Amino acid sequence: MAKEALSSLNVIARAPFHVYYEGPAFSITAKNKVGEFDILPGHADFFSMLIPCTVTISTDTDDISFEIYSGMLTVKSDEVMLFVNM
Amino acid sequence: MAKKEAGELSLKELPVRRANVIEKDMAGIGTLKDLTNVFESLASTQVAKVKNKALLSQEFFNLLWQRYTAIRIDPKKRLTVRDGVGDNGKKVLVLISAEAGLSGDLDMRMIETMQDEYKAGNTDIVVLGSHGASQLTQRGIPYVRFFQVPESDSYINVTPVIEAVRPYSEIAVYYEEYLSLGEQEVRRIDLITHMKDMSDGLDDGTMTDADTIFEPSLSQIADQMEETMMSLALSQTILQSGLAQAASRFNAMTVAEDRAGELLGEYKLEFHGAKRSESDRRLREVLVSIKKKRREAAGNR
Repeated sequence: MAKEALSSLNVIARAPFHVYYEGPAFSITAKNKVGEFDILPGHADFFSMLIPCTVTISTDTDDISFEIYSGMLTVKSDEVMLFVNM
Repeated sequence: MAKKEAGELSLKELPVRRANVIEKDMAGIGTLKDLTNVFESLASTQVAKVKNKALLSQEFFNLLWQRYTAIRIDPKKRLTVRDGVGDNGKKVLVLISAEAGLSGDLDMRMIETMQDEYKAGNTDIVVLGSHGASQLTQRGIPYVRFFQVPESDSYINVTPVIEAVRPYSEIAVYYEEYLSLGEQEVRRIDLITHMKDMSDGLDDGTMTDADTIFEPSLSQIADQMEETMMSLALSQTILQSGLAQAASRFNAMTVAEDRAGELLGEYKLEFHGAKRSESDRRLREVLVSIKKKRREAAGNR
């Protein structure tokens, strides 16, 4: 399937002084105490503390990856907010 | 121009001074003007450096706040009402002031505002910044803890401050907010804004364990978020205060530089006047001496 058709997550990924990404994406990969996980469109509402890892946001054009040492990820009706390095 | 203090004389009213004395004073005022100009530039650079970061972190804080307030948990389990937390029955006022002077009257205004709320019996004061601490001492207001605030354009470690205020049942933070380069205001916030409890009306934005997956668990996330929000709220106010103080310093230095410029102009006028009167005096002396010589020559004839 074309990536465009899946790009239905609306993502905000920020640190206090840095905006990593804001816009549509079709998946996010991160890691919590349970293990690595992916968020895809249609994911259940979700609230998780993240552990140090590399976060990857896949968008229509490319993959955006960055290291984090702490973070919090929330999913609410395909709106993903990622707060990192607080 | 600054108002004249009682008993102060303007330059016109001062006794006539010699030109070389005025020249010496002019050099001193010139140095002062240059110095205030340097401080003004430094403050302006600091404002530019911190302003964008403060805006970004404020947006970050607001977004996180949205999610924080969306969690509905049992208030009895909240961090702020657990054993050992907020159990001394007292209120603490946290004062975020400048580390050094030269920041105008902003800290003074903040302390005056805070004094309305301060009651010696049941209120303690925790002060951040040496300038605020010295202002409190001058007014005879005691404080229980003091923390230094290094000038920074990012968050500083606020854990020791959080630990110091944790035993209090009410935590009010006084800080200075940057509105524009010319306008800064004193603000007050309650650091612990209690989470909305389960009984609050649910709306579309709420997240409960009935409809949301919480990892590791709702209570652990709530505890962690409360800690994080408290730290972020305090860090944000410190950053805002730093920005407001830099702007206030910029204004104070602009006023001082303008005043030094005016004074320099007045001294220049006085200097030229003194020079003129000195040459007039010399001319008079020469004329008197010529007249005297002529009189002597006429007497000899």
